[in-house]
Amino acid sequence: MAKRKRSRHVALLLAGSAALGLAACEDDRVDAQSFPDLQSCVAAAQENSLWFTEDDCRTTFAAAQQEYLETAPRYESKELCEQEHGVGNCGDDPAQGAQGTGGGGFSFMPLLVGYMMGSMMARGGGIFSQPMVNTADGRYSTAKGDQSFASNRGTGKVAAQTFTRGPTTMGQPPLSQAAVQQRGGFGRSATARGGGRSFGG
Amino acid sequence: MRKITLPERPGWRDRAAELGFTFADMGGEPYWDETSAYAFTLDQIERDIEDPATELHDMCREAVALAVADEEWLERLAIPRQHHDLIAQSWTHDEPELYGRMDLSYDGTGPAKLLEYNADTPTSLYESASFQWLWLEEQQQLGVLGPDTDQFNAIHESLVERFGQITDPGTEIHFAADKDNPEDYATVEALAWAAREAGMGAHFTDLSGIGLSDQGQFTDDQDRVIGTLFKLYPWEDMLRDEFAAHLQSSRTRFLEPPWKAVLSNKGMLPLLWQMFPGHPNLLPAFFHADVADALRGGTPAPHVASAFAAAQDALRAGHVTKPLFSREGAGVAIHQDGRIAEETGDDSYSHHPMIVQALAPLPLMDGFHPVLGAWIVGRSCVGLGLREDRARITHNLSRFKPHFIEG
Repeated sequence: MAKRKRSRHVALLLAGSAALGLAACEDDRVDAQSFPDLQSCVAAAQENSLWFTEDDCRTTFAAAQQEYLETAPRYESKELCEQEHGVGNCGDDPAQGAQGTGGGGFSFMPLLVGYMMGSMMARGGGIFSQPMVNTADGRYSTAKGDQSFASNRGTGKVAAQTFTRGPTTMGQPPLSQAAVQQRGGFGRSATARGGGRSFGG
Repeated sequence: MRKITLPERPGWRDRAAELGFTFADMGGEPYWDETSAYAFTLDQIERDIEDPATELHDMCREAVALAVADEEWLERLAIPRQHHDLIAQSWTHDEPELYGRMDLSYDGTGPAKLLEYNADTPTSLYESASFQWLWLEEQQQLGVLGPDTDQFNAIHESLVERFGQITDPGTEIHFAADKDNPEDYATVEALAWAAREAGMGAHFTDLSGIGLSDQGQFTDDQDRVIGTLFKLYPWEDMLRDEFAAHLQSSRTRFLEPPWKAVLSNKGMLPLLWQMFPGHPNLLPAFFHADVADALRGGTPAPHVASAFAAAQDALRAGHVTKPLFSREGAGVAIHQDGRIAEETGDDSYSHHPMIVQALAPLPLMDGFHPVLGAWIVGRSCVGLGLREDRARITHNLSRFKPHFIEG
């Protein structure tokens, strides 16, 4: 028989814009485990390794440290930082002065207080990690701030997008709330005269 | 390639409504029209459409490589000077392309001719990838079409695969379109479903709701930062809008990448003809300014003189003028026998520089002129969608027609 030229299945439903909201992703969850430091991860791997090895601990901890340096929020003063992350939970930017950091006088950062590993095995990926910092109300969150947890030690399921990397060295990660200064800068359709037409074709 | 009258599926309009395909009728006329369908042989699909379109995309990439490295070409393509770097960098960084649609003139014999390449914001994706697919499956179940018929339509699966190749697992992708335009919205939703299936997060934002944060990043209409943005909105407009100054500093990843501004520009057609003169799937094409005088019996611009001499018989027999930027047939005119034989009457793009392309008349089948839309995903042609119209220039209300491959 000749090679089939069409898809085995397609997406048939046009559900409208509500279906593309954030909520629809929420059941897309992966196994995750968090640790205050590398040693506790290694100990857990030795004791009862479910889906990660000691090597995974080392690799993902190093990745989380790097991601922390590159993507954790930076503040212009220690006071501002402590407002967001709690008193005593902030320090100097360890990467200050190095090339590629945010700069601009934003040189205080929340301390790295743990990291979370997530298994993306079912999604064809490997093991991913995220650095954790404190929140103002005494919880623990990813450095990009999109997920917070009561503890930096525990096991559970979290949304897969928790492990998505934020943009490096400046700005906030995708989907975090931002202070919007201006809106409506796209869509004037400058090359066509007159309005009311489709943008596609 | 034949046009065949077929019974419509009973109750398909209800099914369309149930699925959210709300624009199956538009302007009081059918848009989705299954009272007939186009039939192709497998040979016609593979030899005349699939392989040539894939090759054309490769040629287009060669043309982009040339244009982005050449200030003069970027000027001719009317790309604002301040954005030359953005476009050139996106190419040198090898930012991957997602999809596009080539419009081809083809009648079942001889080589298909590239009319234009909408490589940036092609619509009719849902109709092509999904509703057309359902039509085939159901017509087979009803016994209207035999079990050995097939369809050139791996669009959805190819999109899923492509998203998996070009974005990291779990990437949050925003899809921006005009929320009040159901056709545009259906295209981004079809893409978003494919992205979700590939393991990405997909979020919709109204295009005009996009904001700029105090840190210079773009945000969606709920103030959430945009990391990766698919925009169903032409690059030529992105580059001229108020937010254009922030495109690079926002560090947003764009789909399609900025270099598509070069490719989805009718000025590509003269560039392709200059690079690949006489290619069987290309039509002679020139910038209007270079040949306008020559078409009236005068002389062409010196740098195209020999190419014009080789093409002048074809051009004089019939040619089409099109603005560099235009969508859905706007500003397109067919010239034959020294006069305008047909035009669309929509001049919203006609203030832009024009190109001239030799006429490859669309065939006439049962009173309608079909045009083939060859879908490119990544770098390969993976599917087909047809539009047809009583007029010779396809436009936004032209009907969508299903096709099948004869078993």
